[in-house]
Amino acid sequence: MGVQLPLGVGLTDGAVFATFHAGPNAAAVQAVRDAAAGRGEPVVFLHGAAGAGRTHLLQAACVEAEQAGRRAALLPLHRCAALPPQVIENWEQYDLVCIDDVDGIAGDAGWERALFVLFNALRARGGCWLAAGANVPGALGLTLPDLASRLAAGPVFRLQPLDDDGRLAALALRARRRGLELPDEVGRYLLKHAPRDMVSLYGLLERLDHASLSQQRRLTIPLVKEILNA
Amino acid sequence: MDATLWQRCIRRLEGELSEQQLNTWIRPLQAVEEPQVLRLYAPNRFVVDWVSEHFLERLGEIAIELEPAETPKVVLEIGAAARAAPPTPVLNGSRPTPTSGPRMSAGATRLDPRFSFENFVEGKSNQLARAAAQQVAENPGHAYNPFFIYGGVGLGKTHLMHAIGNTILRRNPQAKVAYLNSERFVADMVKALQHNTINEFKRFYRSVDALLIDDIQFFAGKDRTQEEFFHTFNALLEAHHQVILTCDRYPKEVNGLEERLKSRFGWGLTVAIGPPELETSVAILMSKASDAGVVLPHEVAFLIAKRIRSNVRELEGALRRVIANANFTGQPITLEFAREALRDLLALQDRLVTIDNIQKTVAEYFKIRISDLQSKSRSRSVTRPRQIAMALAKELTSHSLPEIGEGFGGRDHTTVLHACRKVKELREQDLRFDEDYLNLLRTLTT
Repeated sequence: MGVQLPLGVGLTDGAVFATFHAGPNAAAVQAVRDAAAGRGEPVVFLHGAAGAGRTHLLQAACVEAEQAGRRAALLPLHRCAALPPQVIENWEQYDLVCIDDVDGIAGDAGWERALFVLFNALRARGGCWLAAGANVPGALGLTLPDLASRLAAGPVFRLQPLDDDGRLAALALRARRRGLELPDEVGRYLLKHAPRDMVSLYGLLERLDHASLSQQRRLTIPLVKEILNA
Repeated sequence: MDATLWQRCIRRLEGELSEQQLNTWIRPLQAVEEPQVLRLYAPNRFVVDWVSEHFLERLGEIAIELEPAETPKVVLEIGAAARAAPPTPVLNGSRPTPTSGPRMSAGATRLDPRFSFENFVEGKSNQLARAAAQQVAENPGHAYNPFFIYGGVGLGKTHLMHAIGNTILRRNPQAKVAYLNSERFVADMVKALQHNTINEFKRFYRSVDALLIDDIQFFAGKDRTQEEFFHTFNALLEAHHQVILTCDRYPKEVNGLEERLKSRFGWGLTVAIGPPELETSVAILMSKASDAGVVLPHEVAFLIAKRIRSNVRELEGALRRVIANANFTGQPITLEFAREALRDLLALQDRLVTIDNIQKTVAEYFKIRISDLQSKSRSRSVTRPRQIAMALAKELTSHSLPEIGEGFGGRDHTTVLHACRKVKELREQDLRFDEDYLNLLRTLTT
C-alpha cells in the first residue's frame, strides 16, 4: 500500500477547554474558566505533577479570554526564566495574566520581586491572575514571602492525576477531536503497554494519528504494536 | 461577523507556532487597524524587541497574503490600544495610550473601596493598630504623623491603610489621597528621571493631602529613591499632610534604609500587627463567609483557623477554596467536606511542622543548640526556649503530650502541660515574650 504523506499543517490538539478531560478536576477547571471570563475568583493557583494539565488549562484560559474580547497573556517561567523580568513590565494592562511554572524562578530575587509588583498592580486594576506550579505556593521555595502569600490569596487547586478510566476518557476525547476513532480495547492496550503519564500518552496518540493517516489504516492493536516497537 | 485582519493573522499563525508562543508573544499584542497599516501595541520594550526579532517579518508576510489589495504594513510599538467595546471583532482607529512615557500616579489614588474599618475584624493582635488607624483617618495630618504599621505578610496592614484612605476621602471627597506600593514609587521615579519629568513627579507627591506607601522595606538599598522620598516626606510633614507607611518589620530593623529615614519614621506612631489568635481567625472566617453569602459552620471555621496559621490572606485563600468547591458541587460545607477540599494545604502543614522542625527553628531563633532543648539543663536561657518549643509542638502538631515529652529528652507529659501553661501566662505578661512566640509561630507556618 502506498504511503500518503500527511499535510504539514495537520490538526493539533489545541490547548482549549474542549480538549481537556476534567475528570476529578472539574471544580478547578470551572474556577479557571470563570477567571478567564472575569467572573468568580480573580486569583487562582493550580498545582500538580507534570502532565496533570496545568499548562493546558492556563493556555486554554488565554484562548477563551481572547475569544471573549478580554486581553490575556501567559508566561511559562520554566522556559522563560532566562529572560529578564522586564518582559512582564506593564502586564497589568491585561485583563488576565497567566504565570505557569512559578517554581521555575524560585530563589531568583529579581523575578520574585517583579511578579510581586505585577500581582499588586494587576489586582489594583481589577485584573485576574492565574498561576501554576509544581506544589502549593508555600512549598515552591520562594524567598519572597509576600509573593508566596499572594499566590495563596485565592483558591489553590491540586490537579489530581486521572485513574485508568479517566485516562481512557481523556485519550478518547483527544482522538475524537482529531477525527480518530479510538476503540476501547486499543485504549486499554495503550494503558497496559505504554508509559501511563498523559504527556506520553498524548504524544503516542499523535504518532498513531500520523501513522493511521499516512498508512490509511484504522487504529487497531496491530498498528499500535508496530508503532510501539518501531 | 467578519474577523479582523489581526484575528485572521492569529488564526494563520496557529498552524505555525506553539500554543505557548501564541499566548506569550502574539495574542497579547493589541491591534489597531488603520488604512494600509496594522498597528500592534506591546506592553514594553523587551516584548517589542522579541517580537520584532522572531515574528514580525512573518506577520508582515501574512498580512499581505491576507489583504493583497491593501498591502498593509505591520508596525509594532510600545503602548496599549484604547479598549474597544468587547467582544466586537472590529477594532476602531482609537488612539493608543502610551505606556512608555512617564506615568504619573496623579489623580489615581488606587484605593480599594472594599477595605474599610467596618470589615476589619479586630482582635488582640491588631486592636491597637486599628484604633490608631481610625484616629489618623478622622484627623489626618494631626493625630499621628507619620503613622507606621509593621508586621508580617498578609496580616492586614494594607487593609488598614486602604481603610484610612477611604475614610479620609469619605470625610473629605476633595482630598488628594495617593496610595501606592513602594515598588511603584520607585518605578515612577525611575521613569520620571528617564523622561526628564522629575519636577512633575516631585510636585505631585509633595502636593497630596495623604501619602500612603505600602511595603517600604523595598526602598532598602535604593539610595536615590530614599533621597527623594526623604524630601517628599519632610515637605508633607511640614505642611501637616498625612504620611502612612507599612513595612514587614520594625523600621530600625530594615537593612539598607538610611538612618535619617528610620529616625523620622519614629516621629509619629509606630504600631505592630501580629498574627491573629485563633478566635480572631475564626471571626475573620465567619465574617468573610457571611460577606460571600455562605453559611459556614463554626466547627469548619475552627478547623481552617487552627490549621492555617500563617496569615490572614492565606486563611481567606483556604476559605475561598472551600467555597469554590461547595459552589461547584452544590454540597453543604461540612467538616469532612472542608478537610477534603483543603487536603493538600493541610498535608503540607503537617509535613512542614514536626517536633524536629520546631526544635531546629526555636534553637536557631534563641541561638542555642538543639541538644540544649533536649538536655536536663534548667538554666533560664534554655528552659524558656524549651517551654516555647513544647507549646508550639502542642499547638502545631497532632502529637500527644507524652510524644512531645519524649521528643524533648524523654520528659513526662505533665512537664509539657506545665510548659504550655507557663507560656500562656508569660505571653500575657511580657510583650517581648509574646512577640518571640508569634515570630516563631509565623516562621513555622509560613
